[in-house]
Amino acid sequence: MNDRILFEDVSKFYGEILGVNRVNLSIPPGITSLVGPNGSGKTTLMNLMTGLVRPSRGRIHVLGYRTDDAENLFKIVGYSTQFDAFPRGLTGFQFLYSYLQLSGRDAETAERLAWQAIERVNLVDDAKRSIAGYSKGMRQRIRLAQALAHDPKVLVLDEPLNGLDPLARSEMIALFRAAADRGCYVIISSHILHEVDVISDQIILLSNGYVVAEGQIQSVRSEIQEHPTKILIRCTRPRELGAKMIESELATEVTIHNDGRGLLVKTRNADTFYLALNQFALNGTEIESITPADDDVLSVYEYLIGEEEVVR
Amino acid sequence: MKPVWWRQIRAVMRLEVKKTFFAKRGLWIYVVAALPVFLFIAYATAVSRQQNRMTEMVHKGKKTITYEDLLAVKRGMTNQEVVALLGEPDIHFYWTEHRQTGPKRIEDILHEKYNYSDGQHWLYVEFINGKAENLTMDYGNNLPRDSVMFAGIFQFFFLRLVVFFGCLGIFMNLFRGEILDRSLHFYFLSPIRREVLMIGKFLAGLIATCTIFVTSEILQTTAFLWAYRPSVRNLYLYQNHGLEHAAAYVGITVLACVGYGAFFLIAGMFFKNPIVPTAVILIWEGINPFLPAVLKQFSVIYYLKSLSPVDVPIPPGMHPLLALLISNSDPVSAPVAILGLLAVALVALYFSSLQVRRMEINYTTE
Repeated sequence: MNDRILFEDVSKFYGEILGVNRVNLSIPPGITSLVGPNGSGKTTLMNLMTGLVRPSRGRIHVLGYRTDDAENLFKIVGYSTQFDAFPRGLTGFQFLYSYLQLSGRDAETAERLAWQAIERVNLVDDAKRSIAGYSKGMRQRIRLAQALAHDPKVLVLDEPLNGLDPLARSEMIALFRAAADRGCYVIISSHILHEVDVISDQIILLSNGYVVAEGQIQSVRSEIQEHPTKILIRCTRPRELGAKMIESELATEVTIHNDGRGLLVKTRNADTFYLALNQFALNGTEIESITPADDDVLSVYEYLIGEEEVVR
Repeated sequence: MKPVWWRQIRAVMRLEVKKTFFAKRGLWIYVVAALPVFLFIAYATAVSRQQNRMTEMVHKGKKTITYEDLLAVKRGMTNQEVVALLGEPDIHFYWTEHRQTGPKRIEDILHEKYNYSDGQHWLYVEFINGKAENLTMDYGNNLPRDSVMFAGIFQFFFLRLVVFFGCLGIFMNLFRGEILDRSLHFYFLSPIRREVLMIGKFLAGLIATCTIFVTSEILQTTAFLWAYRPSVRNLYLYQNHGLEHAAAYVGITVLACVGYGAFFLIAGMFFKNPIVPTAVILIWEGINPFLPAVLKQFSVIYYLKSLSPVDVPIPPGMHPLLALLISNSDPVSAPVAILGLLAVALVALYFSSLQVRRMEINYTTE
């Protein structure tokens, strides 16, 4: 499969310490978020994907390339790491220019691509300053520029929004979204779950080195049977509708919304519930909107990993 | 159109050369490289002062002394005879020794020392009770003799300590330094073969070490020759292979950088602590004369000793084991030495290339 990032029974041990264990993944194009608490194996997974560490067991292929084939791999992969260190004495521009020259590009092309990347991360005014004098956010942006500079097909971004102000965050998210829309593979690790929720096409949930769940958020949520699905229904006569639901045994719990203009319903069979809801609507109940209330990353994270681990 | 790997090597070299020359942790290397230069500056100053003293003595003396006059002084001559021959000495020491020559018998013995010079040689005449007993002729400006001293310092101080530790400081840090700085991933994230990266770094290290140590070697030669009169200097340089020797020392310095560089490059990949490989390589190089012929060939100093243009003589009375350290009991021809050293360096680089492919970025365990 040359159109996927594949992990086949991959394990990584640092001596006796587990990095990740028995990971099997097939990552499609789009934005994939790695979610998990500290030490769950997110960075290890990214380092494995980019050949910075070698698996103790198993095989990894990135769009058909082996991860120890750096010469070809990094023609299609850009990796913005969490390592906050740079070669000494370089300006932002020199950092990108050197990186592009290391890639074998001639001086003219390297200069053009370096400036393009600098413009994409809005660092033009500070490009000629030494990186040593950059703020945390600027260092984050120059790392992102390095990952983006050669227009890679696969973008691996370890906590890419760390240290960025809200405006820069939204700009970067737009950049990742645009890349995903062009058919790129954007792999992001993040602690900020509401942002992951907004930008991700699929998630990989990690805990203690194991992949706990993977796939689209909604499908992951639907597989969590032990927690009833929460649905928010906006309607004109919530008490009436709530009574009908209890009566029909479709809902396990019904709560009137605080503003009195809706219901929060818990159900164990969401599909049947939605069909029944259509029937209620046809019978004259005025329903304004139906919104799943817990098929976001935060809820999935809470259910699968536990509330104590949630980082908001 | 240049191949991609060549452009990549040049890009690595540009980054590394700049870092290597201006790295704070490498400043001590400049100090180490300057040590033998200071030694020869001190030597040149001493020689120059001695020459000035000789010239002063020649000018002060009422009689013009020739080398033949100095040779005419023989043991057993009285001080009056010597003064008649060479004139009153410019430097004259004397003291009286109270020597017991029998029971309850003490004799006063007069010791005198006269120094003479013809401008190029010193003659020290020691008189006991007015009779010349010891004659010492010192060749004040003996360039051929001093060139042996230069060879000794080059072999036993410059090569074995200065270049050795300088290469340690530069080549061991090519990878190890980046791991400590947590910046090695910058290279590993580029579409560049690890072997190409290693070659680029090695060549950058070579440029830095060759520049520093060849400059040091040239300055040493310049300082060494500085004190001599131009006529003596020219005679040595152009008639007595001095220029060839100087070129040979430069070549040996470059080869030493290649050899030690390759050893320390691989050591920097395998060892976190530089003390262990340094001690191992230093001992290995030191015990080279005692090793069997096959093992000798896996050493840098074995080939460098064979290339040295001037043999360092074994001082008389030296312990045989120490003499073995100085002598070159099993020399090889210059082409074999050059090819042998390059082959040893290539073997070390081959193992480095295997190791660099296995390297991982795992800064937390470093």
